Amino acid sequence: MQTGHSIWRRILFNVFAWTVVLLISFPLLWMILTSLKPQSELFLIPPTILPSEITFEHYQRLLTETPFLTYLRNSLWLAAGTTAVVIVVAALGAHSLVRFSYPGRERLARLVLFTYLLPSVVLIIPLYLFMIRVGLVNTLASLIIAYTTFALPYALWLLRSFMAAIPVDLEAAALVDGASRMRAFIDVILPQALPGIISTALFTSILAWNEYLYALVLVNSDEVRPLTTGVMSILITSFNIEWSLLMAASVMMSVPLIVIFVFLQRFLTSGFGAGAVKG
Amino acid sequence: MTKTGQGIAVRKSLSLDARYAIVGAILIAPTVLILSTVIVYPLVSAIYLSVFSIYTPTMEGEFVGLANYTRLLGSGEFWRSLLNNMIWTAGTLSLQIVFGILVALLLHRKLIFRALARSLVLFPYFLSTVVAVLVWRWMLNDLYGVLNHMLMWARIIDMPVDWLGSMPNAMISLIFIGAWKYFPFVVIAVLARLQSIPDELYEAATIDGAGPFARFTDVTLPQLKDVLIVIVLLRTIWDFKEFDLIYLLTGGGPIIATQTLPLMVYKEAFALNQMGGASAVAVLMMLIMLVFMTLYLRKSGD
Amino acid sequence: MTGITFEGVSKRFGKVSAVEGLDLEIRQGEFVSILGPSGCGKTTLLRMLAVLQQPSEGRIWIDGSIVNDVPPSKRNIAMVFQTYALYPHMTVAGNIEYPLKKRRVGKAERAARVQKAATLLQLEDLLHRKPRELSGGQQQRVALGRALVRDPAAFLLDEPLSNLDAKLRAHMRAELIRLHRRLGCTMVYVTHDQLEAMTMSERIAVMRDGKLQQFASPQDIYERPVNDFVAGFIGTPAMNLIAGRLSGTAGDRVFESGPWALPIGELALMDESASGDAERRVRIGIRPEDIMLDDTGDAARVAVVEPAGHEVIVVFDYHGNDIVARMGADVRLRPDDVVKLKLRVDRLHLFAVSDGGRLNDDVAGGRNS
Repeated sequence: MQTGHSIWRRILFNVFAWTVVLLISFPLLWMILTSLKPQSELFLIPPTILPSEITFEHYQRLLTETPFLTYLRNSLWLAAGTTAVVIVVAALGAHSLVRFSYPGRERLARLVLFTYLLPSVVLIIPLYLFMIRVGLVNTLASLIIAYTTFALPYALWLLRSFMAAIPVDLEAAALVDGASRMRAFIDVILPQALPGIISTALFTSILAWNEYLYALVLVNSDEVRPLTTGVMSILITSFNIEWSLLMAASVMMSVPLIVIFVFLQRFLTSGFGAGAVKG
Repeated sequence: MTKTGQGIAVRKSLSLDARYAIVGAILIAPTVLILSTVIVYPLVSAIYLSVFSIYTPTMEGEFVGLANYTRLLGSGEFWRSLLNNMIWTAGTLSLQIVFGILVALLLHRKLIFRALARSLVLFPYFLSTVVAVLVWRWMLNDLYGVLNHMLMWARIIDMPVDWLGSMPNAMISLIFIGAWKYFPFVVIAVLARLQSIPDELYEAATIDGAGPFARFTDVTLPQLKDVLIVIVLLRTIWDFKEFDLIYLLTGGGPIIATQTLPLMVYKEAFALNQMGGASAVAVLMMLIMLVFMTLYLRKSGD
Repeated sequence: MTGITFEGVSKRFGKVSAVEGLDLEIRQGEFVSILGPSGCGKTTLLRMLAVLQQPSEGRIWIDGSIVNDVPPSKRNIAMVFQTYALYPHMTVAGNIEYPLKKRRVGKAERAARVQKAATLLQLEDLLHRKPRELSGGQQQRVALGRALVRDPAAFLLDEPLSNLDAKLRAHMRAELIRLHRRLGCTMVYVTHDQLEAMTMSERIAVMRDGKLQQFASPQDIYERPVNDFVAGFIGTPAMNLIAGRLSGTAGDRVFESGPWALPIGELALMDESASGDAERRVRIGIRPEDIMLDDTGDAARVAVVEPAGHEVIVVFDYHGNDIVARMGADVRLRPDDVVKLKLRVDRLHLFAVSDGGRLNDDVAGGRNS
C-alpha cells in the first residue's frame, strides 16, 4: 500500500506528531537552554532562543554558593530510604494479598486504594502532630516515614498486579518440593517479580524525589531540607530572583529522571500502565 | 481402623489453612499498620480537631463545638474557594482528557523515534512540581518570559501579559499548566488500552463504510469507555485535592482568586494559625469528595 | 497400612462440591489413573493429596499417617504439574536440585542425584539451559526429573502429557510406563484422556461431578462398566446406548424399543426379582466391535462410512437408531447400502434408565473392586 501519496501522508503525520511532542517538551528544552546562557544574555529583551555561548557558570555557582549539595544529599537519602522501606513492606503485603486468604482480605485491598482519595493537606496535620509527639520533627527520618505512608498504597497496587501475573503453579511446585511459604516467596516469587519490583522501586524513588508539601511542613532547617523545598527557599530568600541559578537547579533536579528515562523507559511505562488502569 | 496418625493430628492443633492464614495476616500487618496511620488516624484527628479552636504554634485550644463550621460556611471565602476548586478541576480535567486521548492516538501510530517521543511526552508527569513551577514561572515572566516574547513577535499581543498575577489569566494559566503536567497519565492509560483493541474491529468498520471520524466514535471510544471511567474518577479526585502546583504558581492569588480548598486548609493551619479551622475545612472537603465519588460510582454502575 | 487412602473425603468451595464422599485405597507401588471429564473433581483430588488444598471433610492417609494438616514440604509427595511449573530463573540442574536443597541434602550428594536423574531422562546435555530454551517434551522431562530426584512416597501427575503433540504423547506414555516399572513407586495420574488411562494404569478411578463412579482395572472397567456414564466414557468409538423397555421374565426377557424386539434371555440380571415398571425402563449398551455383518441378523442402512486405515467405522441406521460399528478394513460399504447386522447379545450391557446403574451380571468374571 506504499504509493506516492502514502509516503507524503506519513511524512506529514510525522512532522505534525513531532511538532506536538516538541511543543509539549518545550518547557524542558527552555529550561536547559536558559541554564547554559551567560548571565548577561538572560535578560535581553527580546530574549534569544539559543545561547550565544554555552557556559556552566550557573552550575558552578549553584554548587559552590548555595546549600544545593546539602539538599542533594538529603534528597538522595530520602529517595533511597523510602524506596527500601516501601519495597519491603509492599512486596510482603502484595504477596499476602495475592496468595493468601484470610477474613477481610478483599476489604483491605479496597482500603488500600481509598488512601489515595484523601487530600494530602488533611494527612499532613496529624502527621505533623505525630512527629512533634515523637520528637522527630525536622529529621530525615520523619520524611521517610511520611513518604512511606503515601508511596505505599501505589507500590502495593503495582506489585499486586505484577505478582498476580505469576503462575500459581510455580509457588505450588515449590511447596511440593519442600519449601515453606516464606522460602517459596524468596526462591521463586521474588525472582519472577523482579521486573515489577524494579518498576515499583523507580516509581517510588521518583515520588520521593519530587515530593514538596510534606517536606515543607515537616522540615524547616537547611541541613535537613531536600531539593524540592531547598530550591524553593533559594527563590524566596533572594530579593531579585536568580533565574539562572533556578534553571540550573531545575536541570540538576531532573537529571535522575532523565537518566531513568533514557535507560529504563520500558520499565516505567509498563509498570505504570499495568497499575494505573487495573481498575 | 487404628488411628496411627492420631499423634500427628493432635500435636498440630491448628489446621493448615489456619496456619497459612496467620502467615498471610502477618505479611500484611506492616501495611495495615502504616495505612491505618494514614487513614484512620488522620480522619479521626481531623474530625476531632475541627471542633476545637487551636492555636497552631502551641497546639493548645478549647472546645468550640461547631463554631468553626458555622464560621466557615458563613464566610464568603469558603464558598469562593470551593468555586475555584470546581472551576480548576473541571477545566484542567477536560483538557487532560482531551489532550490525553489525542496525543495517545498520535503515539499509537507508527512514528519515527516513537520511544523517544513517548519519553518526552511522559516527562511533565514525572517532573517535580517544583521544577515545573520554576520553569513555567520563568517562561510566563512578564518582562523576560519567552511566551510573551513569542506572542508579541507573532503580533498576537502588543503588550506583555501578566499571566499569573491577574485574573482571569491566573486561573487560565493554572488550568493549562495543570493539564500539561498531568495529561501524560491519561496518555499512558489510553495508549495501553488502544494497543489492545484488535485491528479487525477497525477493518470491519471500514468495510461497513465508516470514515476515520466514525471509526473513532464507533469503535475507539466505546472500547475506551471503561478505562476512561476509571481515569476520570482518579484524575478528578487528584486534581481536586491538588496543592503543590497551585500553591507554588499563584499561592492562591491574586488575593484568593485562585485559592482552592487545599490551599485554604494550609492557610488556616499555618498562616492564620487556626488548626481547628483548618481541620474543619478539611472535613468539609472530604465530605464533598465523598458525595462526588458516591454519585459518580453509582452513575457509572461500578 | 501403606499406600494412599482417602476416607470419606469431600471438598466444597462455598456451595459447590468439587469432591463428594470419596473412599479410595491405592496400593503401594500401584499406577492408578484418575479419569473423568473436566470438572469431575480429579484435579481437586490430586491437589488434596499434595496438600495444596485441604479437605472439607474426611481424612487422607499416606503410608499410614494422616496428612490432612501436614504442610506439603513434610509430605513425601512429588508432583508433576500440567504446566510443568519449572522455575524460569533457574537452570535445568537448578530446577532438579531444588527439592534436594529444601531437604538439606549435602552438595556432593545433590550433584550425584541430579546426575542420576538427568541420565535416566536423557537430560545430561541440557543441564545448564534455562527452561525457556527447551522444547515441550524436554520441559516435561525436567519436571519429571525434579519429581523423581527426591525418591518420594508417591508421584502425582496432573495431565502431564496434555500439552504435547500426539506423537510425543505416545512416546512419553511408553517412557512413563517404563519409569514406573523401573522405580516401582506409587503413581497417581490424573487425565481426561481415556486412552492414556487405559494403557498406563493398573487401576482406574473414574470420576464424575465429584463422585467416584468405579475403581477397577482397565479390563474390568471396559468389560463391566458399573453405570452408563462409565460405559459411554470408556472406549472409542463410544459404546452405543439405546433406550427401551424390558418385558418378560427371567430367562425369557425381551428388549423392546419401538417396533424392535431383541430377545436377551441369556442375560442374567443381578437382581432377578426386579419387575416393577420403573425397573423395566432400560438402556442397552453394545460396543462397536460387538456388532457384526450377519445374514441372519436384522436389516440396517448404512449412513456414514469412515475408513480409518486398519478398520472402517460405519454408522448404521438400525431399527430407527444410529449405531456405530467397527468393521474390518476389507469391508466395502457405501452410504445407503442395506445390510444385515447382528448384535452379540452375550456382550450386551444393561443399564437402568433411572440411575444409570448396571443391571446385568456377567459370566466372565471380574469383580468390581
